[in-house]
Amino acid sequence: MRALHTAATGMMAQELNVQVISNNIANLRTTGYKRQRAQFQDLLYETLRRPGSQTSDQGTVLPAGLEIGSGVKTGSTPRVMSQGNLTSTEKEYDLAIRGEGFFRIRLPDGRTGYTRDGSFELDGQGQMVTREGYIVEPAITVPQTAKGVTISAQGQVQASIPGQTQPQVLGQVQLARFVNKAGLESMGDNLFLETPASGPPVDGAPGTEGYGNLQQAYLEEGNVNAVTEISSLIAAQRAYEMNSKVITAADQMLSSTTNMFRG
Amino acid sequence: MENALLIGLSRQVALGRELDVIANNMANVTTNGFKARSSRFREYLMPVASAESFPRPDRRLSYVIDAGTPLDIRSGAIEHTGNPLDVAIKGDAFLAVQTPAGERYTRNGALEIDAQGQLVTSDGHTVLGDNGPITFTPQESGFEIAPDGTVTSNQGQRGRLRLVRFDNPQILHNEGTNLLSAPNGGQPAGATSRLEPRAIERSNVRPVVEMSRLIEVNRSYSSVAGMVGRMDELRRTAISRLADNG
Repeated sequence: MRALHTAATGMMAQELNVQVISNNIANLRTTGYKRQRAQFQDLLYETLRRPGSQTSDQGTVLPAGLEIGSGVKTGSTPRVMSQGNLTSTEKEYDLAIRGEGFFRIRLPDGRTGYTRDGSFELDGQGQMVTREGYIVEPAITVPQTAKGVTISAQGQVQASIPGQTQPQVLGQVQLARFVNKAGLESMGDNLFLETPASGPPVDGAPGTEGYGNLQQAYLEEGNVNAVTEISSLIAAQRAYEMNSKVITAADQMLSSTTNMFRG
Repeated sequence: MENALLIGLSRQVALGRELDVIANNMANVTTNGFKARSSRFREYLMPVASAESFPRPDRRLSYVIDAGTPLDIRSGAIEHTGNPLDVAIKGDAFLAVQTPAGERYTRNGALEIDAQGQLVTSDGHTVLGDNGPITFTPQESGFEIAPDGTVTSNQGQRGRLRLVRFDNPQILHNEGTNLLSAPNGGQPAGATSRLEPRAIERSNVRPVVEMSRLIEVNRSYSSVAGMVGRMDELRRTAISRLADNG
């Protein structure tokens, strides 16, 4: 009986759905987190009678076919790259992006990672780094004597140096954009990697069109909406239960078949 | 006597099919743009040797066969997602999609942009506009799909989604992966269908209906099984009685 397997695919799909939802809820307070959503697709159909096939010499055709599907599969779990809320942190190296860009991060293995998490710090050399100590590209070094570091909406980093009247420009924060942000590969630690699906990064300065402005002393919250996630969770749980009922029913039907003959 | 068994069997086969259809509907209860199928059965009259001379003539045997699984083209629930590339169709139209196997149709409006900047389905198939695929450059942002299907970005209008409708939607054939095919294509939907931007059409499977059908199928199956069992007993008793008398 095919129904057993069909319902099993349904249960597996809902299990994955719950995994995705629980990961979203777990990252409710993760800076720069972008929620994922599971997208499902129907599986192949067995066509027993094709619609439109001829039923007589007179040219009459079958109005509706007889097609039986074999369940569901998970198509993809794309990220929803919408803007998260900004919260004030009053830390001078915290940066939030209002727009579509990503910060470029030099990873220890030489690759470039991309992130929306702008909770940066200074390392021992005065370089701007992520919480893991990875260097933000292009590298910006803040001298030890510098005070009152300001980062403008256009990404210009300035600081007042003792003995100088004018604030000194220390560097420029650059952002990267992708034609298909949803195609980025997530590698954990709030970092994303470029993939063939995302397209190559296009660099630009904050403030130029499409890249978004920077907001100093703010962080971008995750874009998870707790209410939506909880209601999806309830729906997923019920769908799981209903699929398990189909399995029970198929099992009962099979058992009544085997009990038909009491030999 | 054999006939009663076979008639019972025909019913059981049909119920098994109906269960398969229900199972597929239930499995796709969260598949975006999914259209449920129902089951339709037909009576099949079997001509048998008939003796017309009796006061009550022999009746022909009536079997059941499954005639079709019509597509339920009712709209699914429209859920607002806030995602600018999500689009739900209000009305009976479908989005046209270009696949390697030819033109296909879908109601799943969770669209994306691929690495080449083309508007694609979540499977990467190109979504067709009135003038072919809709393409964006990497510099563009602020995508928006208007209720009439016009796709715009901050650089202006980029095309218009091609909406297709079918006079007889039952001609549609499921291809899997949320795609449907039609042998002769469809007609332009015109102004009858509108789009709901930033929303997704959920599956139109109604779980309550499917669950009650499931119970019905389950019970009918056991009752037929019981009937076949009793037939078998009857035959066994008949054989043993006849043997005793012999």
